[in-house]
Amino acid sequence: MTQPHRLAAGGIVDRSRTLGFSFDGAAYEGHPGDTLASALLANGVHLIGRSFKYHRPRGIVTAGADEPNALVQLAHGARTEPNTRATQQELYHGLVADSQNRWPSLSFDIGALNDVFSPLFPAGFYYKTFMWPPGPRWWLKYEHAIRRAAGLGRAAREPDPDHYQHRFAHCDVLVIGGGPAGLAAAQAAARCGARVMLCDENATFGGSLRGDATLIDGTPAASWVDAGIGDLAANGDVTLLPRTTAFGYYDQNLIGLVERVADHLAEPPPFTPRQRLWHVRAGTVVLASGALERGIAYAGNDRPGTMLAGAAQAYVTCYGVKPGTRAVIFANNDSAYEAAVRLHDAGVSIAAIADARPEAALSGDHPQRARAAGVAILPGTAIVRAHGGLRVAGVDLASLQGGAARRIDCDLVCVSGGWNPAVHLYSQSRGKLRYDDALATFVPDASPQSIVAAGAANGKIDLSAVLANGHDAGLAAAARSGFAARTAQSAPTTAAVSTGPLQALWSVPSRRSAKCFVDWQNDVTVADIALAAREGYRSVEHLKRYTTLGMGTDQGKTANILGLALLAAELGVSIPQVGTTTFRPPYTPVTMGALAGHEVGATLEPTRYSAMHDWHVEHGARMLNAGLWKRPHSYPRPGESEDDAANREAKNVRSNVGAVDVSTLGKIELQGRDVAEFLNRVYINRWDTLAVGRCRYGVMLRDDGMVFDDGTTSRLSTTHYVMTTTTLNAVNVMQHLEYLLQVEWPELEVFATSVTEQWAGAALAGPKARQVLAALVSIDVSNAAFPFLAVGECELIAGGARIPARLFRMSYSGELAYEIHVPVTHGRAMWEAVMAAGEPFGIMPYGTEAMSTLRIEKGHVVIGPEADGRTTADDLGLGKLVSPAKWCIGKPLLARPALTAPERWQLVGLTAIDGTIPRGGKLVADPGQATPTPMLGHVSSWCWSPNLDASIGLALLERGRARHGDTLWAVSPLADARVRVRVGPPCFIDPEGERLRV
Amino acid sequence: MSESTYQSIGSTAPGHYGAAGSAVFLSEATIATAWNVQGDAASSPLRGEVQRIAGIALPDMANTASRSDRVVALWLGPQSWLLVAADAATLGDFNGGREALIAAGGALFDVSASRVAYVVDGPRAVDVLAAGSPLDFDPRLFGAGQCRQSLYGRVPALFYRHGEPPACTMLVARSFARDIWHSLCNAAAPYGYSVRAAATFA
Repeated sequence: MTQPHRLAAGGIVDRSRTLGFSFDGAAYEGHPGDTLASALLANGVHLIGRSFKYHRPRGIVTAGADEPNALVQLAHGARTEPNTRATQQELYHGLVADSQNRWPSLSFDIGALNDVFSPLFPAGFYYKTFMWPPGPRWWLKYEHAIRRAAGLGRAAREPDPDHYQHRFAHCDVLVIGGGPAGLAAAQAAARCGARVMLCDENATFGGSLRGDATLIDGTPAASWVDAGIGDLAANGDVTLLPRTTAFGYYDQNLIGLVERVADHLAEPPPFTPRQRLWHVRAGTVVLASGALERGIAYAGNDRPGTMLAGAAQAYVTCYGVKPGTRAVIFANNDSAYEAAVRLHDAGVSIAAIADARPEAALSGDHPQRARAAGVAILPGTAIVRAHGGLRVAGVDLASLQGGAARRIDCDLVCVSGGWNPAVHLYSQSRGKLRYDDALATFVPDASPQSIVAAGAANGKIDLSAVLANGHDAGLAAAARSGFAARTAQSAPTTAAVSTGPLQALWSVPSRRSAKCFVDWQNDVTVADIALAAREGYRSVEHLKRYTTLGMGTDQGKTANILGLALLAAELGVSIPQVGTTTFRPPYTPVTMGALAGHEVGATLEPTRYSAMHDWHVEHGARMLNAGLWKRPHSYPRPGESEDDAANREAKNVRSNVGAVDVSTLGKIELQGRDVAEFLNRVYINRWDTLAVGRCRYGVMLRDDGMVFDDGTTSRLSTTHYVMTTTTLNAVNVMQHLEYLLQVEWPELEVFATSVTEQWAGAALAGPKARQVLAALVSIDVSNAAFPFLAVGECELIAGGARIPARLFRMSYSGELAYEIHVPVTHGRAMWEAVMAAGEPFGIMPYGTEAMSTLRIEKGHVVIGPEADGRTTADDLGLGKLVSPAKWCIGKPLLARPALTAPERWQLVGLTAIDGTIPRGGKLVADPGQATPTPMLGHVSSWCWSPNLDASIGLALLERGRARHGDTLWAVSPLADARVRVRVGPPCFIDPEGERLRV
Repeated sequence: MSESTYQSIGSTAPGHYGAAGSAVFLSEATIATAWNVQGDAASSPLRGEVQRIAGIALPDMANTASRSDRVVALWLGPQSWLLVAADAATLGDFNGGREALIAAGGALFDVSASRVAYVVDGPRAVDVLAAGSPLDFDPRLFGAGQCRQSLYGRVPALFYRHGEPPACTMLVARSFARDIWHSLCNAAAPYGYSVRAAATFA
């Protein structure tokens, strides 16, 4: 017989359809609407897992997000997910789940020896044990063993096959929780015309009303919910989000939601993300997150078959499942009586209700109904001990006044120690909590953000009060966004229920060796808390860290209040004096996939492509990342290594001609009457002398005098300039200039815009560059007509087309060189024209590696390796550029003594005498010296020079310019290399610059 | 699901992609000319010159656009606007315009190739936009004739809404074009989308 504990009717499950699933290899059946937990209970399965520390058998405690024990390993392979709450996982056909933290099997677990030897594992066991012998060496050894024992499930080892989306949203009112209060709030706010979002963690709305027949506005609650949801769904300004958990509350009412789009399916349908992360900006949040029941600590209160009373009620009402056949109820408040009546009506035998309160407190409507149903009620009584192993078999009841215990057999124990409003998000909003004596718990008080707590989350218990409070919260939230009620609205009504007072009870006294669990997930007992208090842990935050109370996947949702109440009792202070630990996001665990969204793998960051990208790829380029850009590293031919390709390309530039894509360089246009003055202020050199049609190299400093960026600026007309920056600093330089123009010097008539994206660029370099160019452009490029550092506008002839172009005669390689810029849309046509025109002259494309080699040979500095934020222009050999005739940014601080000290590190060139200069090596006089060897400098750039046939490099070296001709050692302990190097000037090729000017 | 099912997502060829249904329409809007005008918003000589050169009044209000039948002027900042024309002949001689605006105390930059524009339209267009942008796309708050600068994913984007119900044209730097197109297609795939042939900037 399948599902022997399924009721014939009732609940939200669809009995007309059957879903097959397996748990620990055994096949079971359930129905649509079931959670894994309700389906297991319908099949009589209570033993779900083993506890974290003592490996005690554990069952299903709750029916929701607060579940500490019923955590399973869901699915196999790449989609496996550890610590899935069986109480929230929707059942689907073919679901596969396995229990965790047990070996070899769930019913026989070797780890349960920990339970036997539990006196050896008190609170703070790690700290007390693994501190010997002192020092980190032993801890590092222990750690390996501890790591293996730690954790419950296992993460998938394969890449996640699913995809995840992010979604931004804005609303006037975000209602968190679709139970009675949330529904009343959403309806009230929506009727005012506000934009409303309503989210609920379950598949269907209604919360505690799901499957419930209580009359609201004259109709059964479940129908009232359906009608309300129908109204909301028909409203275009309402967004309904079932299967969606609000997990985090951030500043300015930003709330994080996770929508489980496809977790109720074996795998997402095509094109559907598995989960969607919502970033919601809400005018006001109505927090209708309900309340979480707490237990009472007594000996053996963790035996499978022990459940919170509200959860037992939910399994009967919502899922149509009997969680046991014979139950004992243990309570200190009226709510458990409602559960008792529901269980009784469903055919569960109620052996007794043990109530900690005296007879006089049992006058409420629910106790009266239980009494009328003939249930035995034992006032002033508590469970002092539970019996059973893999399932509870009975309990010992005794008067709280003392006296003999008597045993009652049962297979279900339902406990209610009272209800805690789910204040987690309220607290995350930086809201303050207030201790409510009547509820013996913390309730929302005041928040600096726009949040209104409603219903059970606001400490309301009775359904009529919950509905009224939700309705008022909805109206208040809408009003805060300026939406008034359009017509008179009244709150939904239901019959009021009279309720007797709660009597706080946290634990039942027992023998010292008995385990009375406070935190089921972390195996924290009453004795652990007492021990921590004896050992001096007076702060609840310290208690948490010492005992692990409230940690783990449930973050102590059922345990925290118990723990701090017990600490308060140990310390002899009031509960509010102890206070609560800090609630932090997430409310329930969030998958890494949802947090990452689209930003994984190749789309981790956006990618920028130059107009010539496809050409590079088609011609065998090996692309690399330069910032967000893709740039060609080199163009290896078949059978050629990347290094060989780069060397071939670099050699070809010096002997023939090469072309490199320089589209990624930052380009900024400057216009206005005062551009020359502006340039004078931002560059170290003079700009008022730059003629139209000329360009100049310039260096910018930071305020502290260190080199910030370098590049060229060209004057196209009297009022029109174009500046280039390094690829990586393009945005920084633009921001720097905009800041200066807007904040520092608004009086200057200078306008700037970035044209990096407007112009594609190719640098044409090599002794044959002019011959290539002459066939390409509309102007005379002879040395006389277009000398070194000339600039002009022209047309580039590409096939039959004439493309508007800017031509610059500047060189980075040290060869005769030009840069051609054309609008990006013509970039590929220009590049192909260059390659075609160059073919007779042996042109080759070259990549960043050859470009780097050429600039090292020429001794040009780069922002980063040489201009590393600690170097001045003089350090880099550019001191003579600093104009004595004018002020510029950074100049005043260049006179600081430390910046003019003779022992500063200065740029030099290095040539290896034998071997290869090690990457990032440090420069020392004698590598044989005792460590730490005095460091004289470091290698900043290095390459194999195919043109010099030598390993060369650039370095920053103490008194470098005075050491030309010296021999030093470049050493790298990491590469186990020590190489003799000769120090010289940084420029290895054509120091007089004759090749540039031919 | 096979990899090939997903591989078509990101194609620029007109056709239907993703889930069943066509709740989203994506297309490129071609830009022939785009000029960045800068200068003092209160300067009547500057406004007069723009009117003379481009036949359009610069928008006064932040985050709004003005349009003639041939040109759209988008507000970029307190002293910066973008003139966009679909037809290369509309805006005429750049250098002449630049000299005129310099003389009026402003500046004119040719950024015609700098940006690519994609139109996102259809009943689920807002879902696609909100998958990458933190802006509020409720047409009551961000309706036709308005423009805003924000991000799509991590890429700076200029959003311009036009038509009724308002479609959204998104302008992004051209080097990000492929990346953004893929992002838009990925965001649209769950709803089903159609790629339409490129049309001129509206």
